[in-house]
Amino acid sequence: MRRRPSFWQVVAVGVVVVLGVVYLFPFYWMVVTALKPLREFYQFPPTLLPVHATVGPFVSVLLGRGYLVLLRNSVVACLAAVGAGMVVAMLIAYPITRLPVSPAFRRGLLNWILSLRFLPPIVVVIPFFDIVRHLGLYDNLLSVVLLYTVFSLPLATWMLRGSLLEVPMEIEEAALVDGASRFYAFFKIILPQLAPALLATTVISFALAWSEFMFAFILTATPRSQTLPIGVASLVTQFEIIWNEMAAVGTIAAVVPIVLLLVARRHVIAALTFGAVREKA
Amino acid sequence: MQGTIVKAGARGLVAPGPLSSRSSRYWAPYLLVAPPVLLIASLVIYPLLYNIWLSVHHYRTGEFVGLYNFAQALADPQFLASLHATAIFVASALVVEVLLGLGLALLIHRTIRSGWARTVIYILFLLPMVTPPVAAGVIARLIYTPTYGVLNVLLMRLGVIHQEILWLARPWTAMFAVVSVDIWQWMPFVFLVCFAGLQGVPLDTVEAAVVDGADGWRLFRHIELPHLETLLLLVVVFRFTDTFRVFDHVLVLTGGGPGATTEFLSVYLYRNAFKFFNLGYSAALSLFVLLVTSVAFTVLTRYLGREVTA
Repeated sequence: MRRRPSFWQVVAVGVVVVLGVVYLFPFYWMVVTALKPLREFYQFPPTLLPVHATVGPFVSVLLGRGYLVLLRNSVVACLAAVGAGMVVAMLIAYPITRLPVSPAFRRGLLNWILSLRFLPPIVVVIPFFDIVRHLGLYDNLLSVVLLYTVFSLPLATWMLRGSLLEVPMEIEEAALVDGASRFYAFFKIILPQLAPALLATTVISFALAWSEFMFAFILTATPRSQTLPIGVASLVTQFEIIWNEMAAVGTIAAVVPIVLLLVARRHVIAALTFGAVREKA
Repeated sequence: MQGTIVKAGARGLVAPGPLSSRSSRYWAPYLLVAPPVLLIASLVIYPLLYNIWLSVHHYRTGEFVGLYNFAQALADPQFLASLHATAIFVASALVVEVLLGLGLALLIHRTIRSGWARTVIYILFLLPMVTPPVAAGVIARLIYTPTYGVLNVLLMRLGVIHQEILWLARPWTAMFAVVSVDIWQWMPFVFLVCFAGLQGVPLDTVEAAVVDGADGWRLFRHIELPHLETLLLLVVVFRFTDTFRVFDHVLVLTGGGPGATTEFLSVYLYRNAFKFFNLGYSAALSLFVLLVTSVAFTVLTRYLGREVTA
């Protein structure tokens, strides 16, 4: 029973098509630019499809400029921070959701951790920079990992708390009555129930850490510890921009979180609003 | 902890009775939480205290200067200009994102019913949000840059302009460019939250209102808007605090220029702290940034009360 589309339906479809262009074309343009030889980039008018398509810019950025190292730094820093962050978040989320604590304590702790999400990086990074320099940890990936761990906590703690609340108390209680230790019950009974949420939280935390710019920008100085976004920025702000290489490294930086978040897409909105919104798509 | 067998019903969210209040079981959760919390506190609270110390001392001599750094801010035209630029950025990004996002959510909620079309829109809107801000800056560079920027080419082809616009070299167009990136990335956030919220409006209420003769506007004003209120507040606080601290894509796209027209607070603080090594002064300014953000956060937790916490 197909009806004639109403006026507003036509408007909506038009708007969505326009938005589709507004949102997809910029990505398309970045990828296409990354695939053009420099000579073709400078051509006027610009070609919509690369005529002499090449992966040259990717190769020269990753190998020629040695950005492979930055890529590795990013992967290492994000993995370490997310791993540590998940453990710490669980150490906080488990006791306050499944053990008896005073409601005021629980609310206070959760709010305090949530407040870290709103703490502007510039406020922390000035003293942190000074402290890190005194400790000899300047330009050391460790200082980046520490900060990424802390700032992955709001999301991880709130996500884990939300999913822990959904595991019925009775399951754990049954195991405890049967003589299992809390420790055993946690690893054998709770953790498997949490697996999907754990995976989603890990993926989203990783993607957010991957995008982080300011801490790495201020606390690192050399490829020894710089992350990929720093490499991106340095290609954009240098005096003479090598456009196709800039687009290539931008593409690499964007592809990783986009792929990860498409995997975890059901949880992204819940994560970004700390569980205030549930998305079913 | 390990090996404790507890009677069912003695735990859960029920507070333990007075008899057990001194037992190890009472303290166990607090002891478990303590190490990670102390760790975070040392990594966050210590720097904040350090910040306060920095703000009342001369950075190089270490001499106590009281509120000198704060007084300096009030007489610093660059700081005031930066504040002004930040206000323009925050206000324009916030207003456009919220109005566009909400309007779009309403439009799509009421007209597009097909499940797959909604999934396509959902995924389309996830893309910009998860793009790293520096990558968004790269994209914006490719669009706005003079001579090779694709936007000028497009506008000239369409006959809208006949002469190149130097987007990043003029104050207002540079501001437009920087704001446009934020809108492009985060209007989808407002949309997705509102869209999800609209789906939570009880259907029978909507039907009852329609039967009673409510038109589209009244339906929105009296049924949907009250339902969305909390979510809108959440969205506004998130967007306010995020635009207020904006840094990444600005540094990549304009670097604060031309002149200092897009030198927002974070950029200005960064310059002061890490280019001129005015750590004391920047620390004082950063406490101001912290204050504003804290007020917004407090509003959020107060108003949302139980809905976000507990």
